[in-house]
Amino acid sequence: MKEILCSIATRGRYDTTLPLALASIINQTKLPDHIIIFDDNDEDKRIDLREKEVYRNLLLMIELKGITWQVIFGERKGPQYNHQIANTFGYKWVLRVDDDTILEPNVLQTLYNKATTEENVGAVGGCIITPWWNFSVEERNKSSNKIEDIYSTPNKQWFPIIDTEEVDHLHCSFLYRAGVCDYNLQLSPKGFREETLFTYEFIKRGYKNFIIPCKTWHLKASEGGIRGVNDEEMYIYDEEIFRKNIDCGKLCVLNNGIGDHLVFESILPELINKYKKLTLAVCYPDVFEDYNIPLISIADAEKITNIDRYNIYKFMADRNWKNSLQEAYKTLYL
Amino acid sequence: MKIIIHPFSRKLRNGKLNPKVYPHWISLVKLLKGYDHAIVQVGEEGEEHLVDDFRTLSLKELKRLILEYDTFICVDSFLQHLAWRLSKSGIVLFGQSDPKIFGHEENINLYSDEKYFRQYQFQTWEECEYIKEAFVTPEEILKCINNNNNNNNNNNNDIC
Repeated sequence: MKEILCSIATRGRYDTTLPLALASIINQTKLPDHIIIFDDNDEDKRIDLREKEVYRNLLLMIELKGITWQVIFGERKGPQYNHQIANTFGYKWVLRVDDDTILEPNVLQTLYNKATTEENVGAVGGCIITPWWNFSVEERNKSSNKIEDIYSTPNKQWFPIIDTEEVDHLHCSFLYRAGVCDYNLQLSPKGFREETLFTYEFIKRGYKNFIIPCKTWHLKASEGGIRGVNDEEMYIYDEEIFRKNIDCGKLCVLNNGIGDHLVFESILPELINKYKKLTLAVCYPDVFEDYNIPLISIADAEKITNIDRYNIYKFMADRNWKNSLQEAYKTLYL
Repeated sequence: MKIIIHPFSRKLRNGKLNPKVYPHWISLVKLLKGYDHAIVQVGEEGEEHLVDDFRTLSLKELKRLILEYDTFICVDSFLQHLAWRLSKSGIVLFGQSDPKIFGHEENINLYSDEKYFRQYQFQTWEECEYIKEAFVTPEEILKCINNNNNNNNNNNNDIC
């Protein structure tokens, strides 16, 4: 079996970050055997890379280093489709690289060493640093890659990684064992949370995921990108699929008055009993200060879900509700 | 009796009077004072002071006060829910909202007539006109207070 495939899915970044990503792969201390560039640009915007001087040089350098390469034109169905092709291409390991990332030269070597010296590794990734992001130490300290923390804490890979650590899921660019798990092809073309679903699948199948000290820069280019489809409906649709597939606990959203919070609090013991993990998005955190439950702001909840679905008044109005507010909360959440 | 009053609901975004606010507070407070009840008003800065003892409290402080006092009189506001969580009952002055949905049966829920209940109970209060007649009179409230002295645990207390 061939050893390492590197896959890059790209859209709208021919003239910005894609050459940087390719250059960083060429400069790895350990090289992949093959590179596939999944070109997800619209048909009328596609180019033959070899016609551009920068790519002519880069592709020649790739060949001179003994790496084979190919371009596959994608169908704009989302990154998960391209990654699934790479996943089933017949290689043992796949290094997935975003088209706006720059890998430090030791990334593949470091990830590969871990993947091949530890038993049952599913996926392994390093830190993914966006140069202009400025996180606080406090946020770094509470960061987590446990699946149940996904709504309440920042991703550990967004910060420098000091020690190797076992995690539930990985983000952005990482090395994974190919052909074991499948990408979720039900997701929309936006492919929101596709890598979380994919890497957590390894855990469900008894493999281990790791984060390890090595650095990839994530430029988060403002234009283009494989998830460039800007459609709120797709985001909500993907979030629904994510929640159905992953037991990340129950999210309750209280975008309402303090009285509504207090009535909700009355069903909290039952909720705690029922769900091993709860996250509350609230306007009045004081109401829940006696509980050891992660609280997030409504603004944060809006980033991860359509909070309208949790509007208790809409819920009651839609059902011509005649019973108590407490019963409405029970029906919505229990 | 030691009574907490919470006379006002939140201000509306359109500047109109919130239809949940009881229209006869001044008369009611006058009547209560005639019976030597000790009254403390809780609310937010900027609200009209109906008694000398006006307090703006944190949630924690308010919980302590509710436990310390005998009962409360409030509009359909968060105070009824907080007291309910603390197993303290009182009188809630409803107007156009249905106490079966927004009240607690442990309280005495007073309203004038079901005919004033809003057809759409879940629309915003900004969409709703103020109806003074939707509320009971101060005398009816006083009667309940005096009858209900030391009788805080009755069920099915909706009264109109």
